[in-house]
Amino acid sequence: VTRRVAITGMGCISGLGQGLSATWSGLVDGLGGIRRLSRSFREEGRLVIDGPAAVVAGVDGSAVEAHAARRVMAQLDPAAAYALVATHEALVDAGLLDQPKLLAEASILYGGASGGNVTLEEGYARLFANGQTSVHPLTIPKMMPSATVGQISMLYGVRGAAFAIASACASSAHALGEAMHRIRAGRSKIVIAGGADASITFGSWTAWKALRAMAPDACRPFSRDRQGMVLGEGAATLVLEDLDHALARGAPIHAELIGAGASSDAFDLTQPDGVGAVRAMEEAYADAGIARDTPCLISAHGTGTPLNDKVEAQALRQFFGPHIERNIVIATKSAHGHALGAGGAVELVTGVQALANGLAPPILGYLGPDPDCGLPLALGEPQRLHAETLVSNSFAFGGLNSVLIARRAR
Amino acid sequence: LAIDRNTVLDIIAEEALVERSALTPEATLDSLGIASLDIISIVFALEERFGLTLEQSDFEDVQSLGQFVDLILDRAAIEQL
Repeated sequence: VTRRVAITGMGCISGLGQGLSATWSGLVDGLGGIRRLSRSFREEGRLVIDGPAAVVAGVDGSAVEAHAARRVMAQLDPAAAYALVATHEALVDAGLLDQPKLLAEASILYGGASGGNVTLEEGYARLFANGQTSVHPLTIPKMMPSATVGQISMLYGVRGAAFAIASACASSAHALGEAMHRIRAGRSKIVIAGGADASITFGSWTAWKALRAMAPDACRPFSRDRQGMVLGEGAATLVLEDLDHALARGAPIHAELIGAGASSDAFDLTQPDGVGAVRAMEEAYADAGIARDTPCLISAHGTGTPLNDKVEAQALRQFFGPHIERNIVIATKSAHGHALGAGGAVELVTGVQALANGLAPPILGYLGPDPDCGLPLALGEPQRLHAETLVSNSFAFGGLNSVLIARRAR
Repeated sequence: LAIDRNTVLDIIAEEALVERSALTPEATLDSLGIASLDIISIVFALEERFGLTLEQSDFEDVQSLGQFVDLILDRAAIEQL
């Protein structure tokens, strides 16, 4: 039996807003969610955040708390709060909120690059800045990278296999790929999969700055004079479901997840080599059983750093050859920033929205062509999209690559 | 800093995320959904606010909210002597 995997629920929170529709309309209207962020640690001016970022403006947890019949949001690290609102939205969308039996049998695979950064830094500030010798007793259960998974499981009564996957900026993409395999293998009918990250903190900001990876003004994927990435945050959750199971219960079918490929560069901690990216695309295409000349929407990893985009553009040209010209390349990090471990899931839900709406959202911040990045980019107004296939790339530090392929529901 | 019943109840409501109006002396911690981790958070907040050192183990067998608050005030008084 070859089991097919449907996407029956989607939820998202990002720097463009709460709810998938807010993120989607933010992508299409071309305004973007990146703003200058200026913060000073305790007004001392010693530690500052000053630069572009795509920050989640606020979290409305009222639906989550109504479901829980108690207050929960105030006790969560922001990463877990984002995970819960995105998951709640996805479960409502999939018609699962009032299906305790189906939820009990479901699994959770959720990604995150670094766990509860805000909680960790609050603890460190007490110890190293305030001279205190104790931290809040919930520091450990709030900061562990699997806190998101535990919270989703408890709140929605999910009792199947549940764990976190960490592969930096490909975390949620790897989680979604493995979730698909789990359903194909017949081990779960329903898997709640995605990722969350909330890493716009003084320590994290300073560390990204030390890497010299951050742009001074905007994220400009594949553009000439691009200068780096812009930090984002948020979460996206997808409900993946055995297609026959989904059809039998009359669930909405947003798309099918038809292939996943994963590889590692075994090359460098931060520089991509491109070879691994091509191998991940090859594996994903073989897994999906589709030809390279199938017209597709390519949601690039597209961070906006000089080297990453150049190497990804070369990998795409190498993999697709002349067929690249019939495709459209989008790079939505230019609007919602780099959501790190949540990025792959955010880009899958927005890519599925693009297929469903027949629209390719534009790459923002573009200044003009870079000869090293000759790709059919979506620029200017949202472009009409006829492709039925989405290829979503996530290429993480450590050379950890994940490629997902989805197809519009028929 | 003086510790009083009302402040203790405010802290319990804040830390355990329960409505202040639900905190009646007869209510059990179970019925309020105050679990062991909440007690740890409440004790931590009291220590922070009043500069106390309280023993978590003193609160292990507490059933009702009234008992819990009495015990906190009792231990705090000893501590502050």
